[in-house]
Amino acid sequence: MPVDLPMPRIGAVNDDAPRPIKLVLNWGRRYSLWVFNFGLACCAIEFISASMARHDFIRLGVIPFAPGPRQADLMIVSGTVSDKMAPAIRRLYDQMPEPKYVISFGACANSGGPYWDSYCVTKGVDQLIPVDVYVPGCPPRPEALLQGIIRLQEKIASETLSNKAIRAKYAGSRRAAAGEVTRPLLSKTEMTGRDTAGVPS
Amino acid sequence: MSETPCRDVPLQEWTAALTAARDEGFDFFDWLTAVDETDAEETPGFDLVCHLMNSSTGRGTLARVLVRTRVPNGQPAPSATGLWRGAAWHERETYEMFGIDFAGFDDGTGLGLRPLLLPEGFDGTPLRKSFVLASRASKAWPGGKEPGEGAGGHDGGAASDKPGRKKINAPGVPDATWGPR
Repeated sequence: MPVDLPMPRIGAVNDDAPRPIKLVLNWGRRYSLWVFNFGLACCAIEFISASMARHDFIRLGVIPFAPGPRQADLMIVSGTVSDKMAPAIRRLYDQMPEPKYVISFGACANSGGPYWDSYCVTKGVDQLIPVDVYVPGCPPRPEALLQGIIRLQEKIASETLSNKAIRAKYAGSRRAAAGEVTRPLLSKTEMTGRDTAGVPS
Repeated sequence: MSETPCRDVPLQEWTAALTAARDEGFDFFDWLTAVDETDAEETPGFDLVCHLMNSSTGRGTLARVLVRTRVPNGQPAPSATGLWRGAAWHERETYEMFGIDFAGFDDGTGLGLRPLLLPEGFDGTPLRKSFVLASRASKAWPGGKEPGEGAGGHDGGAASDKPGRKKINAPGVPDATWGPR
């Protein structure tokens, strides 16, 4: 029997919650950031370094074990965004449930970096998705990412989260909510059809 | 490492040269690409380069050879997909990056030459020297070496202020006909 599991939403309680409750909700949100690493180039190595024992961003509540975008709160775009990769970033960002945050990590994700005049590199990931925190550097040191995460947490602590506020935040860039960017499971015949398509006989 | 030996052949003998190299034992197809030589003094066109290896010479003594030909602009080159199936991706890439056609291209799908790496709807052949980088139309090139330097336009600014600095016309930089910036 199919179970109807709609996308989690921010309820009316959040809109009408008194200030102390909002404080607690924000506090919970800022120290439980499941991160989805969009590693595209060498900056991803610095991201991995930041997650390992020496720098250890897990102590800030950033958990790098999100199974996919649908379970993530924070997307860190680390690396060169090419025009070919751009639709995938947009799609995976749309799949993340709200409230969602984006850190643009490194010169390439910020502005195109050394590839500012390339024919195939997107000039900054903010052309595709709204970015909360930019971390400069080429590549930035892991400490810079820690600072970026702290800045994001400060931002989360001071925000008022409601459906109205979310609509305002993503105004102009919100194309779909996570629940809308979904696709039914593939049937077995479709799967086998996919395997043989394109293979020359 | 010593320089890889290079065999220059005329375009008509491209397939024959590749076949001969393969029969000599250079049976491993490494890569195929092109070099834009459209500004060459004589016989302008594209250098089609193919790198082959001899896999039978054993470890540490891998023999290599480059086969090179000059393809005039607009002319198709014979395809190597009949000799190595793996040449299909390289020829598709050369086709989309340089706009070189390959006669007799066959990768088994029957779809013919089509873009491989470029995003859908990309217009132009980006590795040609004539391809203008649009970002350089809005931003001066070469810029200043230090912050605050070279704030002027494309022709003005740091490049022409310094008498010792030679003006370079690099590929991809739009010329003056692109208007004031």
